[in-house]
Amino acid sequence: MTKLIRSELYKFMTTSGGYVLILVTALLTALGIITAFINPVQNGGGDHFGLPIGIIGIRDLIGAGYTPAILLAPIVGVICVTTEFRHKLITTTLLIEPHRNRVIFAKVVASVLWALLLCVASFVMVAAMGLPLFVSQGGTISQIGPQLGAVVPGLFLAYGLLAIFGLGIGTLVRNQIGGVILALGLTLVVEPLIVIIFKDLVHVTVNFLPSRDTAAVAGGLHAGHGGTGVDLLSWWEGGLALLGWGLGAMILGYFTTFKRDVS
Amino acid sequence: MVQKKNGLPIEIVGLTKRFSSVVAVDGLTFSVQPGRVTGFLGPNGSGKTTTMRILLGLVSATSGSATIGGKRYIDLANPMRSVGAVLESSSFHPARRARTHLGMVALASGFPASRVDEVLDLVGLRDDARRKVGGYSLGMRQRLQLAVALMGDPEVLILDEPSNGLDPQGIAWLRTLLQYLANEGRTVLVSSHLLAEISQMVDDVVIISRGTLKAAGPLSEVGAARGPSIRIRTPHVDKLIEIAAQAGFSTRRVEDEVVRIDGVRPQELGPLMANNAIVIYEMVQEHEGLEQLFLEMTTGLTINTNVTGI
Repeated sequence: MTKLIRSELYKFMTTSGGYVLILVTALLTALGIITAFINPVQNGGGDHFGLPIGIIGIRDLIGAGYTPAILLAPIVGVICVTTEFRHKLITTTLLIEPHRNRVIFAKVVASVLWALLLCVASFVMVAAMGLPLFVSQGGTISQIGPQLGAVVPGLFLAYGLLAIFGLGIGTLVRNQIGGVILALGLTLVVEPLIVIIFKDLVHVTVNFLPSRDTAAVAGGLHAGHGGTGVDLLSWWEGGLALLGWGLGAMILGYFTTFKRDVS
Repeated sequence: MVQKKNGLPIEIVGLTKRFSSVVAVDGLTFSVQPGRVTGFLGPNGSGKTTTMRILLGLVSATSGSATIGGKRYIDLANPMRSVGAVLESSSFHPARRARTHLGMVALASGFPASRVDEVLDLVGLRDDARRKVGGYSLGMRQRLQLAVALMGDPEVLILDEPSNGLDPQGIAWLRTLLQYLANEGRTVLVSSHLLAEISQMVDDVVIISRGTLKAAGPLSEVGAARGPSIRIRTPHVDKLIEIAAQAGFSTRRVEDEVVRIDGVRPQELGPLMANNAIVIYEMVQEHEGLEQLFLEMTTGLTINTNVTGI
């Protein structure tokens, strides 16, 4: 199994797609950092650039990798599976390891590990850009320290779980472009629509959406509230919900698509 | 001195595969022996690739079994060490270099990295190993696929149309390589829809059409199995078929006024027709080549080659 996992990681390392995702994560994190310093002006309308306000503001700064997490971590999983079908590599992969459940398991581990690299990239950006900016605006490191524990482990967890979710989508769809569009569409289109339609009807429905689960697991980030006014789940509830999304999509995809004939 | 390998026999028994309403493979049974190159022949769509993919665990059989050394592919302890397969020429990420692709296979299969250079040398791709596969010609991709298949120094080779894209020099190289591998004791199954292309590289043939077995055995025996035949154009086809059948000969109606009678010599047939007052417009003895036999078996078409007028 170790050989198979190393081989899956090697696939990420020897094509550009995985590196592009890391780079885009860093860029989106930079945008997130800047956004964390833009605060609404009380009573007067408009915004001003200044220190993030309150605990949630500081957590938003540390968790500036939230947006790339929900956008890009699933794509790690999507491309891990769909590249196999796009370039017919699946034939070689299954000749090396004919037990498809082992192939999927190796892909889960490799996708999670690569997604964690994306998370590392986001925290590197926070350390390299966010912290100097925070200090330059009059903040102190002692304000940051207490919030790290609430955000860092959770965001790592979220990246990993979202990669599994993406893997499930990839397994279900098999078409690379379709998988990427579906992963992005769920976050950018379907979720906002569900929030708009259901937020006044069923709070539970809104709370269990992947992006809100990500916000919950990463310390209740402000971005995850999405203006719904609905409280997020606790971090562990959010984590379980995310895991449920990932495993659900993966199991469905495995039995309906991945087990199919490769002809 | 050739180092002998313990080739494993391939056994296909009552294999059937249905894709909804289409029967791709229909009760197929044959075996492939070690130490020989076996040609798996049939026109496009005859079920060759499906059979091979079932054998390799990529496609599930509706019924029947396909085993290598008595085991299903999925049950082999280390499949890449037992079986090397070439199934399609485009099973690569175009942005990867050939060496990287082989490195990935070696890593996943647990082979040493040094094996990459060995197989690159074996297929003659060493000088192009650092090029991206996307820039490879079809022939080079076939060689790379063959390198993957040979990575585990396997006892069985299963090659689906491996000569696709190869130039005449490449086909000659492939022929030599496969014969060499078979002489080492390996089992080699190689498919093609062109008999002429592989007739010089195979010892045995398995011929299928529409998923069913048409003939199997040593190339020389399959070609000679039918013996001589005579093609006759006559207005009395029905009568001729009747008297030929009564005399114990096998007949086939080819056209409205044309019948072919197998396993008969002109000296036997001539008096028979004269005694029954059968008018003859044309009578030719055919020396059927394997190619003609293959075409007839697989498509039902008859061609006139190598004919000698009587």
